[in-house]
Amino acid sequence: MVIKENNLEQFKTDGFSFRYPTMTKPSLEDISFSVKKGEYLLICGSSGSGKTTLLRHLKSCLAPKGAKKGVIYFNGKPLDEVFEREQASKIGFVMQSPDDQIVTDKVWHELAFGLESLGCDKRSMRGRVAEMACYFGIQDWFHRNVAELSGGQKQLLNLASVMAMRPEVLILDEPTSQLDPIAASDFLNTVRRINRELGTTVIITEHRLEDILPHADRVIVMERGRIISDSMPRTTGKVLYEQGSPMLYAMPTSMRVFYDLDCKGDAPLTVREGREWLEGENKKEPIQRSIESPKMEEYTDDPVLSLKEVWFRYQKKSPDVLRGVSLDVKKGTLHAIVGGNGAGKSTTLKAICNICRPYRGSIRVFGKDVRKYKGKELFSGCISMLPQDPKSLFVKGSVLRELSEMTGDKAEIERVTGLCRIEELLDKHPYDLSGGESQRVALAKILLTKPKLLLLDEPTKGMDSFFKRSFAAIIKELTQSGVSCVMVSHDIEFCAEYADRVSMFFDGGIVTTDTPRSFFSQNSFYTTAANRMSRHIFTNAVTAEDIVKLCRINREADL
Amino acid sequence: MGFEQCHPTVNLIYFAVAFYTTFIFKHPVFLIISFISAFAYSIKRNGIRSFIFNMVLLPLGIAFALYYSSYNHFGVTVLEQNLIGNSITLESIVYGGLLSIKVMTALMWLTSLYSVFTSDKVVYLFGAISPKLSLVLSILLRLLPRLKRQSIIINNARKGIGRGIGQGNIFKRILNLFSVISILITWMIETLGQSSVSMHSRGSSLRGRRAYSIYRFDSRDRAYVVAMFFCMTLVLMAVMLGQCDAVYDPMIRISMPTAVSWVFYGGYFCFAVMPMALELWTEYSFYRSRKAIKG
Repeated sequence: MVIKENNLEQFKTDGFSFRYPTMTKPSLEDISFSVKKGEYLLICGSSGSGKTTLLRHLKSCLAPKGAKKGVIYFNGKPLDEVFEREQASKIGFVMQSPDDQIVTDKVWHELAFGLESLGCDKRSMRGRVAEMACYFGIQDWFHRNVAELSGGQKQLLNLASVMAMRPEVLILDEPTSQLDPIAASDFLNTVRRINRELGTTVIITEHRLEDILPHADRVIVMERGRIISDSMPRTTGKVLYEQGSPMLYAMPTSMRVFYDLDCKGDAPLTVREGREWLEGENKKEPIQRSIESPKMEEYTDDPVLSLKEVWFRYQKKSPDVLRGVSLDVKKGTLHAIVGGNGAGKSTTLKAICNICRPYRGSIRVFGKDVRKYKGKELFSGCISMLPQDPKSLFVKGSVLRELSEMTGDKAEIERVTGLCRIEELLDKHPYDLSGGESQRVALAKILLTKPKLLLLDEPTKGMDSFFKRSFAAIIKELTQSGVSCVMVSHDIEFCAEYADRVSMFFDGGIVTTDTPRSFFSQNSFYTTAANRMSRHIFTNAVTAEDIVKLCRINREADL
Repeated sequence: MGFEQCHPTVNLIYFAVAFYTTFIFKHPVFLIISFISAFAYSIKRNGIRSFIFNMVLLPLGIAFALYYSSYNHFGVTVLEQNLIGNSITLESIVYGGLLSIKVMTALMWLTSLYSVFTSDKVVYLFGAISPKLSLVLSILLRLLPRLKRQSIIINNARKGIGRGIGQGNIFKRILNLFSVISILITWMIETLGQSSVSMHSRGSSLRGRRAYSIYRFDSRDRAYVVAMFFCMTLVLMAVMLGQCDAVYDPMIRISMPTAVSWVFYGGYFCFAVMPMALELWTEYSFYRSRKAIKG
């Protein structure tokens, strides 16, 4: 069946449903939407809401197997009838992991990969590859080995190698979830540029909406396999607000503040709009400009972890990675370390658990030099580290067996599964878990060693805002029971909300340490969106909740 | 700045012929030409490291010749009898020396070959045979180093919970090692699955795959090929005219140089030093043009 040719619609579907063979509930239910040519469509939703499943159905060779109902049309033709060759070149797909998507060992080969598949002749291949390399600024690393690239460069390469096939539509499935914020915003800017300059249709899913929502033409919000909102970005918040959907919590800060204060009208989307709106909101001199907070006090009792001028380098002749790191962590606190990429944050964690040995300075864990711990002592009941990629911890076929690897104590396993909220995951294979889930299982696993000091390496990477919240709650419970945590993170919003202390890592050392409130309110670039939005009115609001609280106080005072 | 800049096909033909002639020639003059040029070129490419390598090779070569002659007793010129009454002959010593020269020469060519042929060139050459084959090769070239890196990442992650390869008693260590290997295998399956999806999505299963090349066959390559074939023709003529004949059993008979032989020797010599000459020439012209700028 071919419906009437409509040249404007790139994709269209009506009442599409899909169920995985092993599941009882459908993963996609009654999906109806269309994408116009040249449109920039953002699909958001919490983990497991069916975003990825939906995106994969937009390209036949990626579509998961299962029971389908309904037809998806591509350029007015049912997708199943579009030839594989046409789909390969016209529908570009970029996935999450920068590393796994790259197939070959050299940048030039990866760029040419798609064209090789299409069997282009040599001349046009050369031309197109050159063109792509220039457009994406790849010419400087054209001959490099892929292994030498940073995560951001790898993802850019993935994008470029898809774009070399000149797709009409570009589908991106959480492309920035594994990138640091700077690389992520670079990447999103490039995507926007492609959309604007080349007119390529873009369909993208994302967790971090701060950067991307204001630039989308349309936003679809999904929940449990259904579309709950399909509207312009400006009205998305309103729809969610009226439905009372928890997805509102995932929206940009300015929008969240707006609806938390039950305001009417157009919600601000960007930090700039947020600033203007907040100014209008607080026309009169606000009576309270700051949130009361205790000053950072010096630790009086002995710190559980103390680093004194630690120096480290990987090889005898390589440059120093750590250059005099000094740090004190108090018992029962969450200490966050923030800072740029490759600054040595992860290396610091490795040095703390004695995987890297510093050549100068001292590291004392619970008052004892870390080098003096013998064999098992350090890792049983003392320190544990949650690695960046939690999957590298998993050996067994199910989560329960995974946990049993660490201890035979059933009661202990039960306690930890309860704490980490993974009761319903116990029978699953660890590799089938989503990013947030595997992070929690890994946490449960390392908690079974009963650590008193927990080291977390970018735990919130790839997590959606709900997972982050429940993760924070778990950490809170732990710290209250006396466990101390050191967290390395790029996620400044998370640090601002949940950390007890924040340290800035720069140039191989810790530059400042402060409470998150004063740390972020003193910064003007490296700070949260809430702070950037409100700093002209409130002196130390760093989270959306802070702004809401202050606005409420001032409002009540007005009345 | 030299032979490695030439088109991979040129590199391939050159080394193929160099190896082949080294293996089949028995005539000492040709072998010595090949030996000297391989010696010089390997040092030109790899510097002091090759020099040390070659210097280690030499005594090994002599040792091989002696070893060979004490086990092979053909030939008529008996030099002496050894302990158990076998005769040591001049022919077998010379022939043993010849064999060891061949092997040494081949190894030296190999060190140069290794520095000339980058993985890109190998991928290109395979692509000329079959684009699919070159793709497989390229995937392997990416996967193998990744496996090594990932095993370090996994081991570090396991170390962080006290289950690294180097932690615990011997028994635990072995178990930990198995765990790391098992995780590595699962990781590999997972990651290969992802890459195959990504390949598929970019049309890897379509018919009519063609290999991209970053190389261009330029006029210098053409000139090089012409010169190379000219030399090769001379060598071929030498072979046909019996100029390369040499027999060592039962007695050494080597075709003696005549006036025209020098032409053939010259042809083979030109062939053997060609890459080196090219490199020296480009370096010289670089130096000259630099000088011209400086005034």
